[in-house]
Amino acid sequence: MDSLHAIGFYVSAALAGAGGLFLAFTDSRQRRAVALGLVGLGVAGIDLALSAGFTALVVLICYAGCALLAMRPDHRFLEQAASGPWRQAGAVGAALLLAVLAYAAFRGNFAHATFNGGPFGSVAVGRLLFAHDALATEAVGGLVLASLVGAAGAWRRERPRDERGEGRR
Amino acid sequence: MSVTLVAVLFVAAGLTALGAFIAAWKRDLTGALTGIPVMFAGAGVAFVGVARFGASSGAPLLGQEMAVLLAIAALSAVGLGIGLAGREGTR
Repeated sequence: MDSLHAIGFYVSAALAGAGGLFLAFTDSRQRRAVALGLVGLGVAGIDLALSAGFTALVVLICYAGCALLAMRPDHRFLEQAASGPWRQAGAVGAALLLAVLAYAAFRGNFAHATFNGGPFGSVAVGRLLFAHDALATEAVGGLVLASLVGAAGAWRRERPRDERGEGRR
Repeated sequence: MSVTLVAVLFVAAGLTALGAFIAAWKRDLTGALTGIPVMFAGAGVAFVGVARFGASSGAPLLGQEMAVLLAIAALSAVGLGIGLAGREGTR
């Protein structure tokens, strides 16, 4: 991997991390969408630096879709049932998860192999998706269909505004 | 300056933990839902990294395929969650 790809990787990783942190600490829907877009841009950059151009394209489209969905002004505010201590316990759990994963990455003894694929790889990935692992692709297609039908069905009915969350927007 | 599998896995670990933190910390459920794509992004980066640096036999681009499927699954999860949260009525 040359220096240009390495710089691209580290810049994209910083962008994704900054976007994630921004997402964690912002409450506005527009800013949340911008943060999700930054995460998508960063992850797509990481994939591009790792010679996965097709994956980067799909990631960019999917995260732009996530950002557009999160930006919608008319979805309801629903407050989590978990109270403060449970949320704090969840945050500590996330920190522990980071420690365990980072330790595993640092201590792992990984095999190194020479990469023979191209920078984009759409043909090889498409062959995998539609020939080698067609069942997994169909399962994800079914998941997308079920979620679209469920979301459309649930979205049709207007619900009253949740009074608790009104002041927090 | 170079990139190794360990560096990729560090970034993946950071994104996964950040997504878990967002899901646990956000008070708004639809806000917490946005942690799922971040977690899936971490998993996808790890898969792509293994495909780039560590896959020696079999299908070497399997990790890229998994990352594609994870991105699509993340979009479906956010769509379903926001749809189930429902539309807010006007008063």
